[in-house]
Amino acid sequence: MTALIEMRDIVKVYPNGVVANDRVNFSIERGEIHALVGENGAGKTTLMKILYGMEQPTSGQIFLDGKAQHFRSSHDAIAAGIGMVHQNFMLVPSFTVAENVVLGQEPTRRGFIEAKRATEITEQLAQQYGLRVEADAIVDSINVGMRQRVEILKTLYRGAQILILDEPTAVLTPQETQELFNAVHALVQQGKTVIFITHKLREVKEISDRVSVMRGGKMMGTLPTVEATREGLARMMVGRDVFLTVNKPPCKRGKRVMEVRDLSYITETGRTMLHKVSFNIYAGEILGIAGVEGNGQTELVEVLTGLRSAASGEARIGGKVVTNRTPREVRMASVAHIPEDRLTNGLALTASIDENLIVDRYFLPPYRKGLVIDYKQVESMGRELIKKFDIRTPTGKLPVNSLSGGNMQKVIVAREFSSSPELLIAAQPTRGIDVGATEFIRDQLVQKRTEGTAILLVSADLAEVMSLSDRIIVLYEGEITGVFPDASKVSEEEIGLYMLGLRRQTREEMEAYL
Amino acid sequence: MSTIRKILAIRAVREFLRIFLAVFAALVLGFLITLAVSKQPIEAYKAFLLGPVSRFNRFGDWIEESITLILLGLAVSLAFRAKQFSLGQDGQMLMGALVSGSIALFVPLPFLLRVPLALLAAMLVGFIWGYIPGYLKAHLDANEIVSTLMLNTIALKIYDYFLIFWIKPPGAGYNASDFFPVEGKLPTFLPALPFIADLQKRFADHTNITIMLYLMIIAIVVAFFLMFRTPFGYELRTVGANIKFARYGGIDTKKTIILVFAVSGIFAGLAGAHLAMGIHTKLIANITVGLGFEGIVVAIMARNNPLFVPIAGLAYGYLRAGADVMERASDVSREMVLVIQAIIILLVTAERILPMVQQVITARRQAAAGAAEMTEGENNVV
Repeated sequence: MTALIEMRDIVKVYPNGVVANDRVNFSIERGEIHALVGENGAGKTTLMKILYGMEQPTSGQIFLDGKAQHFRSSHDAIAAGIGMVHQNFMLVPSFTVAENVVLGQEPTRRGFIEAKRATEITEQLAQQYGLRVEADAIVDSINVGMRQRVEILKTLYRGAQILILDEPTAVLTPQETQELFNAVHALVQQGKTVIFITHKLREVKEISDRVSVMRGGKMMGTLPTVEATREGLARMMVGRDVFLTVNKPPCKRGKRVMEVRDLSYITETGRTMLHKVSFNIYAGEILGIAGVEGNGQTELVEVLTGLRSAASGEARIGGKVVTNRTPREVRMASVAHIPEDRLTNGLALTASIDENLIVDRYFLPPYRKGLVIDYKQVESMGRELIKKFDIRTPTGKLPVNSLSGGNMQKVIVAREFSSSPELLIAAQPTRGIDVGATEFIRDQLVQKRTEGTAILLVSADLAEVMSLSDRIIVLYEGEITGVFPDASKVSEEEIGLYMLGLRRQTREEMEAYL
Repeated sequence: MSTIRKILAIRAVREFLRIFLAVFAALVLGFLITLAVSKQPIEAYKAFLLGPVSRFNRFGDWIEESITLILLGLAVSLAFRAKQFSLGQDGQMLMGALVSGSIALFVPLPFLLRVPLALLAAMLVGFIWGYIPGYLKAHLDANEIVSTLMLNTIALKIYDYFLIFWIKPPGAGYNASDFFPVEGKLPTFLPALPFIADLQKRFADHTNITIMLYLMIIAIVVAFFLMFRTPFGYELRTVGANIKFARYGGIDTKKTIILVFAVSGIFAGLAGAHLAMGIHTKLIANITVGLGFEGIVVAIMARNNPLFVPIAGLAYGYLRAGADVMERASDVSREMVLVIQAIIILLVTAERILPMVQQVITARRQAAAGAAEMTEGENNVV
């Protein structure tokens, strides 16, 4: 039996000389869920863009049902029944869901678009594949999970038989991920074929039938998922043994660094997102915040770092109030911040790596000399940090958007760690980045903590919170519902009960440990 | 890497090539239009192409106008780099012209004090006329496009009011001031030294090129230095690259926005002084006419980089001067001249012209080099 898709000896050399794909062979069977894994920059996305007609291979061939194909653009690929959902969604935010689904192939009568038909089509497709959407909602107002489902519906409306999902879970919460997995299963049951790009090994095990691993532009191999182990896949991806568990010396708690008292935050529309939150953070410990996303974590971090104003209550560092101060004042009080959304807050993508590294210090000596910035000094600091934090780039003068996701995150980590803060607030420090970079960043966090830095860790990945933290606080609907003084002595299931609000400790129970 | 690619990698070369290619393509198109509308197309196009350098006074017109364009281009570059779309250069210029002109006319100081005072006052009033929309944007979230356009209107009316009711000589039948006294005029750019006396006289007789030429060069250096070497420049560029990142990193984004508008205004204010004290040497109605938004064209051609602004300004000034000559010296109507000029601007500001050419070069090279390059490139995998 011939494979549904056969990519043979695909070579892709970019004009700048980077070999993104090096004689890659890749085949897909009909009706399977095929996971494609590899570190950022391994060439997964390039390979898929070639399959989708967005990029032309330098050499190599593509066969569909045994017939050689030549896709000159994604139009050709779509016509052949291939659809792709990109990492960054390509929707018109001011249009409704239905309008986005039918965009470009609108049902018309006498030249006018039939809005009602579009809604019907969308609803019918949504029902058929179990992709829950509100057809009449404006895209701007719906959440990320639903936007992704709209993207999938878009490709289905165009008749896709083969769906390429490029890191679909990178932006999703655990609940949304589960919903996506259900939808993927439904798609396959109805005869579709799915290629699932990811670098989360847990997801590979959970969803795929077969898995292919890429590294450095080469295909390392394909195997049935049942025969794969997480450790084995990680080794294939990185090329060496990877420690998926964190090893850390015991916690030596030092002096109190930050004191948070009765902190509340109310949104402009009047919603209470934080209600009388109180806790302390001590030198030399990692305090983890567990909670389902959207329970006040984002607001807590942004209030503590000066990006939002508290409604009441305060936070102090060494007796000095740091709430309702500017971000610069907070930083000058020795607080560093790894933001949860690195592309929006953490980086200026078109600026150089060096310029991204100096945003918190360009006005201080030795970088500032008199009236000017000493760019020689900036450059040498850049070189040093690039080396120390293993940022994969030939020079700090390149724009940040020339880096892969993991390396972008390392730029942020390099900046925030090198300011030698007393308190480091790390929000989703490893979200959406590859295994190697994740391991590196976790190691760095533990090392900093062991050296005596106080760390506040917020992560949607409960396993990460559990393995890195010394002490854990659970946030539920903007309130602290539980505190666990020793993270190693509590199970995921138990914390889960607090995260869902099914159980909560009394104030008295918590007091001693906050 | 081939030598061609190495040279292309140098930014300045790329920019120059980009502008050059665009101008070339546009000139060809312009000639085709001239062919269609003129009975003597060669003569007409020659007037257009060579007009600005064919006579002393035309050369002077070109340089004088280019000085205005370059100062405006600097003003716009500073604002646009920070993604602050200030369209207020017209108003800032008017205020600069009004204030410097008034000082030149009425403040009884000797030349050595009067001229610098007038220039400083023009820059100060430009600063203020930029500070206002900056403040409105930073603190009241007022759209800068609307506020700067409104301030242009306000400035124009203030200018007219003072010109008509205060400055113009009583009983004059036209809306213009007297010519400035010699203490209030910018001196010519060549000093009257014996060995260049002849040249100096010819420039002085036929052109209004003044020491503003040197001030412009200083302004270019200052703008470049400000943008790429100072903390303020870093703040400006960072706000332009990603304002959320700037705020997160601790930059006072409101202060930066206000200062960007205000500093940009200084350059436009100086352009106003150039119009009043250099070119016209009197205040006239509509002194900025046709120039208000030309700084935007220059800045876009120069990619908001002060270093490229003089190239873009001189090139654009040449076009405008050439169009003037063509209109006067040939049978091509003013309308067609403006059409040709507009087409040229369209092509020059089209950002993808060089990338297109580069793609063709790359594709050809790849086809030729083939396998050899692949093995070479393998070491470059990041």
